[in-house]
Amino acid sequence: MARTTKHRVIQKAPEFSGFKPFGVQKPASCEVSINYEEYEAIKLCDYELLTHAEAAAMMNISRPTFTRVYESARRKIAKAFVETSIICFEGGNAVLESPWFSCPACKITFSLGADNPQICPFCKSADIQKNN
Amino acid sequence: MKIAAALTENHPKSVIDEHFGRCDWYGIYDTETREIHYVENPNRYVDEGAGCSSAQMLMDYHIDIAIAGRFGAKVAEFFKKNNVQMIIPEKNKKWDSLLKLINH
Repeated sequence: MARTTKHRVIQKAPEFSGFKPFGVQKPASCEVSINYEEYEAIKLCDYELLTHAEAAAMMNISRPTFTRVYESARRKIAKAFVETSIICFEGGNAVLESPWFSCPACKITFSLGADNPQICPFCKSADIQKNN
Repeated sequence: MKIAAALTENHPKSVIDEHFGRCDWYGIYDTETREIHYVENPNRYVDEGAGCSSAQMLMDYHIDIAIAGRFGAKVAEFFKKNNVQMIIPEKNKKWDSLLKLINH
């Protein structure tokens, strides 16, 4: 039996669900789905300008695995560009690095450290939600 | 407890800046003395690592909470390591309305 896929740690999920080509006569027929770890790989490597080794450490995977994920992401983006297809962000084997919480009363999002009590830092209410 | 916020201007009516590393001012509020101290962000126009340098600078003020519209990956990691709580308020939230919530 094949080894199970290790969870890739991501910092934050993308805030939108994808891209659509414009200026085309008929709507794109096919869709390219980029999963969350591929989005994270592109973000860490080409946006935050980390090296593959640093990015791999942040995602808690080996450097070769990171390169594979990154390579796959680039190929999918290239395919979408050339074939004018829609890009969707979905799926994958990603887990969020540290959960963020939100307080519906104060309308804030916040992080909790190891020694922080599990309450909203403003209203001190324990009525908080875990995001994602 | 000390609370730092990324601000667009150096007064309480200012809105919380959208990005932690590239804001113009930091407001540092001390909950014990109830004083606000404003520092200009010296790193706002640097090419790289603005967030990390600013975070380092704020650590010298011994802050416990940081408020901004968004934290970069490196900054979030740095604050987590140093046990600084990060807070992201709603968009275009005013600094004085958050101060009211803190004092409440």
